[in-house]
Amino acid sequence: MSSSIPVPVDPPLPAPGPSSSSRWPYNFYNRFSAWRTSLDLPNPGTSENLTKEAKGTLLNNYLFDGARAELSKSLSMNPMFTVTHSFNLGSQTIPPSYGFGAMFANEQLFLHGNIDHEGNLSGRLNQGWNANNVTKLQAQLSGTPGQSVLQVEHDFSGSDYTLNAKAVNPSPSDLTGIYMGSYLQSLTKNLALGVEGILQRQTPDMSEIATAYLAKYTSTDKSWIATAQLQGAGILQATYWQKLSDKVDVAADLQVVAAPGRRDALATLAARYELRMASFRAQLDSTGKVSAFLEQKFAPTFSFLVSGEIDHFKNAAKVGVGVMIESSSMTPEEMGLVPPPGHLPMPMPQP
Amino acid sequence: MPSEETKERIIKAVDLARTVVHYGWIPFIIYVGYTRSNPQPSLIKLISPLA
Repeated sequence: MSSSIPVPVDPPLPAPGPSSSSRWPYNFYNRFSAWRTSLDLPNPGTSENLTKEAKGTLLNNYLFDGARAELSKSLSMNPMFTVTHSFNLGSQTIPPSYGFGAMFANEQLFLHGNIDHEGNLSGRLNQGWNANNVTKLQAQLSGTPGQSVLQVEHDFSGSDYTLNAKAVNPSPSDLTGIYMGSYLQSLTKNLALGVEGILQRQTPDMSEIATAYLAKYTSTDKSWIATAQLQGAGILQATYWQKLSDKVDVAADLQVVAAPGRRDALATLAARYELRMASFRAQLDSTGKVSAFLEQKFAPTFSFLVSGEIDHFKNAAKVGVGVMIESSSMTPEEMGLVPPPGHLPMPMPQP
Repeated sequence: MPSEETKERIIKAVDLARTVVHYGWIPFIIYVGYTRSNPQPSLIKLISPLA
């Protein structure tokens, strides 16, 4: 009899009916959660990753000047274990430096540390407890007192929402520090809205609360994403990201500060070409800066970077060149690059 | 609110923990990576940029 009725497969609707949950708060909660499950909303992602796509296209995080070299050596693939030596030279903004980094990652744990020649350490630890819970620790420790930063963070992702709690430099003795909490909820399959609260306690008797509002709209085929973040002090950041083809994507970013006494705006346009052996980014912003970044892979283990920026209004320019060399102590079999047995055996390259 | 003595103790403990993490974090990662890597790499390859 019931076989003629089409049964929805995707949202598992709990059978309504009299059960132990017939008293009103439970009844209401069960109906609410059943209704929520039936909407089948996607997880909106974390509030930190709200502008991830746009940030990956914009080249602000990739730009450098001077010369740099990075030698990374991967010692194991699963679990992943890599050590890195990096050298920076001739930059206008940062002094020459040498850094040693180590990274370890398996399915649950991610450890990263980087120490420079002056002894400044930056470290990161991510621990995933299960599919929904991730705890992140981030620290910047330096020899000079008062410059160290510790950040503790926990992410909880539900089926259609994400909760995040964060504490920056929490002090257990007088509870000073910066505390943040954010909640991002999918309202429809495309739209997610969120709110973020920030509590700043610089001294035990002085605290300041600020709120921020987040919005993210993802198109149905995920080919474009628009986000907006409104911070309490009149700061608005809006981004737009669109994938034009599998190799090209573009992003726009607008930051407006409309606080009393300070009015400012910055618009940025960027494009990224992701080719087989190269990736190229170009960016133009409203302060008259034109910049470009090229990463060219000459071999799977050797890539060459060029970065440049011209500030037309200030008549200044920055140029950077870099190399990234990856060496491996493993044979191709150990890295999983060799096709499975049955194919012709490859001669083992001697390191 | 904790007493002054407790506060001082907490501050001292935090300072100690910070020093331990500062000098111990990279060795800790290398130890974890070295012992759990498959296959286990040789130590000279780990430290030297040229080997």
